[in-house]
Amino acid sequence: MTKKKGANHPWIIVYMLPLAVFFTAFFIFPLVFNVSTSMMKWKGGGEMTWNNFANYGKLFQDDTFLLSMKNNVIWALSQGFIQIPLATIVALILARNPRGWKLMRTIYFLPNVISTVAIAKVWTALYNPQFGVINGILKSLGLGGARNWLGDMSTALPAIILMTVIYIGYFMIIILASIMNIPKELYEAAEIDGATKMQQEFRITIPMIRGTLATAITLAMAYGMRHFETTYLMTGGGPAYSTSTMGIALYLKMDALRYGEASAAGIILILLGTLVIVAIRRALGKSDPMTEAAQ
Amino acid sequence: MSKNRAEKGFNPKAAAFGFMKWFTLLFFLAIAILPFLWLVVNSFRTNLELETAPFGFPARLSFENYRNAAVTADLARLLLNSVIVAAGSVILNLVIASMAGFILSREKFRGRDAIFTIVTAGVLIPIISFMVPYFWMVTTFGLYDKLVSLIFTYAAINIPVSVSLITTFMRAIPKELEEAATIDGCGFNQRFAKIIFPLSRSGLATAGTFCFIYAWNEFVMAMLFTSSVKSRTIQLGIRFFTSQFITDNTGMFAAIVLSIIPSVLVYVILHDKIISGLTAGAVKG
Repeated sequence: MTKKKGANHPWIIVYMLPLAVFFTAFFIFPLVFNVSTSMMKWKGGGEMTWNNFANYGKLFQDDTFLLSMKNNVIWALSQGFIQIPLATIVALILARNPRGWKLMRTIYFLPNVISTVAIAKVWTALYNPQFGVINGILKSLGLGGARNWLGDMSTALPAIILMTVIYIGYFMIIILASIMNIPKELYEAAEIDGATKMQQEFRITIPMIRGTLATAITLAMAYGMRHFETTYLMTGGGPAYSTSTMGIALYLKMDALRYGEASAAGIILILLGTLVIVAIRRALGKSDPMTEAAQ
Repeated sequence: MSKNRAEKGFNPKAAAFGFMKWFTLLFFLAIAILPFLWLVVNSFRTNLELETAPFGFPARLSFENYRNAAVTADLARLLLNSVIVAAGSVILNLVIASMAGFILSREKFRGRDAIFTIVTAGVLIPIISFMVPYFWMVTTFGLYDKLVSLIFTYAAINIPVSVSLITTFMRAIPKELEEAATIDGCGFNQRFAKIIFPLSRSGLATAGTFCFIYAWNEFVMAMLFTSSVKSRTIQLGIRFFTSQFITDNTGMFAAIVLSIIPSVLVYVILHDKIISGLTAGAVKG
């Protein structure tokens, strides 16, 4: 350490202090708190008593929680393997810079700045059995009668997932940026060798953006594992828990003043989310998920 | 790339590809725009019109839904609350992140890189799993049903994103500027306040925009931390429309349109910053 650095040392602490306080209070403390209370019998206001792993035991015997976990897996898979391929296709097209690509890129991202509440309410109306546009379109195409998309156990989950996977803007922009970083010379050389556009995409573009795709799939799946808001707003987890997720189960436990179980659900959510990130990174690439996703 | 491929004469395969290409692009454009267009159109119609003909246009341009929404839901109050929460959390978040970013990008000390990695890895935490501890903290410290609970929480949740963006931005500012200033007698605080902070405006704007959009749109914590109208944000207000006696869909649509305007406006003005923030690879969560 030089003398100058030594002189600045107290200021370093002062400048880092707000970050230290807020990060500890809102990230580190909650994690410790969650781990502790997940092993306690705790009804909210009252007393906390240790009960070791009883809350976890209860959750794993609770059919609705198991169903929620299964739904989260479906969410994660559809975000990772439907949304990301769709985003990749659009990114590949936009990377060839068709007319108006910049404006289109801006519009594709627009839904991402609109609140989940607004989007969920609009789509609840679009799916409405009486005046919904979805039924209207299907009827005018001669495809079946009116369905209660969100009220029917067999269609509610697919209906909600469908309306989320088609909002590709966020990942499309990340994938597009990665494609545009590929040196143009690679394509010029391929063109001279007589490779078609399609061959160029599969032989050059996709291999070159492999790392970005792996990150995108990982993140999309991690978001799938923590899904809460849209479903909560559209169906509340119903009908008959058919659309419930771990987040919704956590919230309902809290609402029922079963705080210990809610904390345990939170820990399971964190562990499974981390597991997905680590497992997908293992399967798709070797780089470190922490620094990749958080760089 | 070869822009005039299409003009080389008719090629059925190329035409099919061209059709598929534009079909795909237009399909996703429609998804991104049409639901909101439908929302805006129906916010000017009556519930009866909506229920009898969901595709129609309003018989006459009437702002009645907007007037109703403003009166029954106390919309002005909700919007004001949201403005206070969003502004408060952006300011708090930027103060925390710019001070830390200054140190993390400028000073060398043991554990600096570890701190940066741990803080930015915060994006990997599913925040909804913290509903129990956050709720406990808010009630224990007497912040329940107070806007300040939301300001603190939103500012904190955005710390990983902002610290990452701002630190990366500040690293790119040449050290020579400060060295010259130090020779001229600038102290530690002046280096931050007079040189680094002003030069980071663009990075701060990007981080601030992300924080604003998050705070304006957030729903879960707002639902958890508040109960009365005095501290209700606009997102929560929209939800309460459906729990009233009569389902006033078009009134709710009007409220949604008003709630969307600020974030869309910010996006229209600052979309370059947002997109560059995303593509810098700095914000992935």
